[in-house]
Amino acid sequence: MLGLLKKVLDKYRENFEEGGKLERLYPIYEATDTILFSTNEVTETGPHIRDSIDTKRVMILVVISLLPLYFFGATNIGFQNSIAIGLERSNWENFWFGFSKILPIIIVTFTAGAFWELLFAVVRKHPLSEGFLVTCALIPLTMPAGIPLWQIVVATTFGIVIGKEIFGGVGMNIFNPALMARVFIFFTYPTKISGDKVWVLGPDGYSGATALSIPASELNQDAFTLLNNFGQFDYSWWNMFWGWIPGSIGETNKFLIIIGALFLAYIKIVNWRVMFGAVLGLVGTALLTNLVAPFSSNSMFTIPPHYHLVMGSFLFGTAFMATEPVTGCHTNQGRWIYGILFGSLTVIIRSINPAYPEGVMLSILFVNAFAALIDWFVIQANIKRRQARYAQ
Amino acid sequence: MADYNLVKGHDIRIAGVPKNSVVEGKAPEFVALKPSEFRGVKPKLMVQEGGHVKIGTPLFHDKTNSQITWPSPGSGEITEIKYGPRRVIEKIVIKLSDEESSESFSSYNPQELNNLSREKILSALLKGSIFPFIRQRPFNKVPDPDIIPRDIFVSGWNSSPLAVNLDLALRRRLPQFQAGVDILNKLTDGKVHLSYNENTVSDTLLNVRGARAHTFNGPHPAGNVGIQIHHISPINLNDLVWTVNAQDVVRIGNFFLTGKLDTTLFVTVGGPSVLNPVHIKSRLGSKIEYLLKDNLSEDENRVISGDVLTGTKSSLEDFIEFYHSTISVVPHETSREFLGMLRPGSSSSRYSLTNAFIGSRQKDYSFNTLKNGSERYILPIDTWENVLPMDIIPNALYRAIYANDIEEMEQLGIIECDEEDFALCSFACPSKIDVGGMIRQGLDLMEEEG
Repeated sequence: MLGLLKKVLDKYRENFEEGGKLERLYPIYEATDTILFSTNEVTETGPHIRDSIDTKRVMILVVISLLPLYFFGATNIGFQNSIAIGLERSNWENFWFGFSKILPIIIVTFTAGAFWELLFAVVRKHPLSEGFLVTCALIPLTMPAGIPLWQIVVATTFGIVIGKEIFGGVGMNIFNPALMARVFIFFTYPTKISGDKVWVLGPDGYSGATALSIPASELNQDAFTLLNNFGQFDYSWWNMFWGWIPGSIGETNKFLIIIGALFLAYIKIVNWRVMFGAVLGLVGTALLTNLVAPFSSNSMFTIPPHYHLVMGSFLFGTAFMATEPVTGCHTNQGRWIYGILFGSLTVIIRSINPAYPEGVMLSILFVNAFAALIDWFVIQANIKRRQARYAQ
Repeated sequence: MADYNLVKGHDIRIAGVPKNSVVEGKAPEFVALKPSEFRGVKPKLMVQEGGHVKIGTPLFHDKTNSQITWPSPGSGEITEIKYGPRRVIEKIVIKLSDEESSESFSSYNPQELNNLSREKILSALLKGSIFPFIRQRPFNKVPDPDIIPRDIFVSGWNSSPLAVNLDLALRRRLPQFQAGVDILNKLTDGKVHLSYNENTVSDTLLNVRGARAHTFNGPHPAGNVGIQIHHISPINLNDLVWTVNAQDVVRIGNFFLTGKLDTTLFVTVGGPSVLNPVHIKSRLGSKIEYLLKDNLSEDENRVISGDVLTGTKSSLEDFIEFYHSTISVVPHETSREFLGMLRPGSSSSRYSLTNAFIGSRQKDYSFNTLKNGSERYILPIDTWENVLPMDIIPNALYRAIYANDIEEMEQLGIIECDEEDFALCSFACPSKIDVGGMIRQGLDLMEEEG
């Protein structure tokens, strides 16, 4: 069976190689071929031996770390729906309900993503980059369950084409493409995702406040009391940690996100400095806002740091968006600054900008834009050290 | 005396590590010198096919600096001068005669050495064709003898995979090594720096006088002389330093003590395809066939002159290169794994600096020539930085070279770099990028533009 598959691939290889009839479609052939069978390219010069890791493996592992979020996300959609319509269902039924809602989103995202990726690979003659797998796996997780599918198509297109391909493809993009898709929806269809109303599949008109929008809409209150006294949803710390709250598909269960983040850091394919810096920045800045809270009428200032951690999509953004290596800083010192800046910007946007109580998305875009500048300072410091030595 | 404990880097756990015992090599029938391996040298032949040479007879000189000549590694008849594309002289092959004889130059006793002047030493090195055993940094090439180097560096510890254990190679060579160090001291106004490892036991290395000793600990490439220079006394903009392989210090010392070129070379043969990996007492320029006779597995193999990270593709029919003392052999593999990217990985099939595979921690991994992936865009996940123990930002430097930005390359410290120090970056790179090759390209550009 495998032998046959290999034979078929080998048989048609020449059609796609230089001079073949379908030469232009070589990236598609190459992608299919190397996804099915690991490449047999060999080294020509030193180093004659190579590490077993490759970008395919890196990307697929990121996707694997996201899978639990899909399972939980599906179950939670069903759970929130059952509350909204007042129906008792088992977890399993909840899962199938949610799964039937997110499967179309996943299919549409991957189809749109693959279409653009292949089109650009063929037109721009670059190899198909496996990075689109991660981009397409991330996009549904950042979306609310009831999002119209055509919006997903438009958002994915925007994310991949404008967010990535016009810069020359993966490796050259400035902003995280998955996040660009999310931002696109956020600003283009604000009635769908505004960030202050919850996303629950329920009867028409059913809605409620997100955890972050509760203190944002009240003055001179203590966020802690507000959250714990909120009747409609259970916004206690532990419940937000375990994720049985309304939210985007993948962002709610903080436990699984932390597991995913630790997994990625352990296998050394994302940088722990960014994640650690982000938590540090968030906690530090939140403590500062707590300090100034008594002098302000802004209730957001009273949110304690550990609540900031589990509210909104901070941990999701930290684990899977901010750590994206290409759009982040490329130096280790830079990664610290990048992470800390991201964490503290999140709190600042959440607290000070009442229009966007969820600051994660914007602060990642912000630090993405600053990543090159931060690196520049790190590189200049390196150059200065050397020049000081030359001058001696 | 200073201790340097480097953390970054990696010791590749490759199978076929040479045993710590030396066997007497089979006498080769052929030896050769390969002019094409010397960077920036335009060779002009001084001998002809069919001519007879002795050990140490100059075979060719550099067109741009005719006083630098290269010695014959054997005595006998020149059976072949092989040309490559564009009439590049690839190799000069010598069939050894039964009775070998050497060119003879003046010899000195150890006391006399101290009274020799720099000019006298230099002219002896040039006349005896010994000078090419010295290389310079930056650019890692045979230096201009007229420029006095700031310092001279010798690494007494090989950290590269399957390399010669210098404790073995320098055993009972103290007099020669001492003479070599004395000679080198005369050649520089600065110091002769000798570095070794905390585990070094060699009397020769530990007891030699006149060299400033340093201890370097840590994983490969801590034993690379380029890394050591960077930590001991980095190369500044207009600096020029010389480096000599430890075995060649012995050779230089011996030349002054006896007036003859000592062709002894301790070589390791190792790697997954070598049945009995071992140290061999061999000679300069030996045909590789004689080193590996009856010692190879049956499969298709790649023979490498040098170590697996920086060596050159070679074959049994070819010859060991001038500065190399390792022959590595790895299986040549072309098989493809079904859905390889999804397999959790097993100890026998995957080796990685990341933890992306289950059970990839095994010792003595049987590497092959597979790239394990295709070349992709750079994925900056730290893999380069983690194996480069230098205050250099590899990513930024790579981009500067890619953009041909000479000024920035210089600012980022390219003159302190050599491709061998970046080989591990290429090894570890998930995007399969040839970082070392890029460094070489940058150095070439720097040299071209002055």
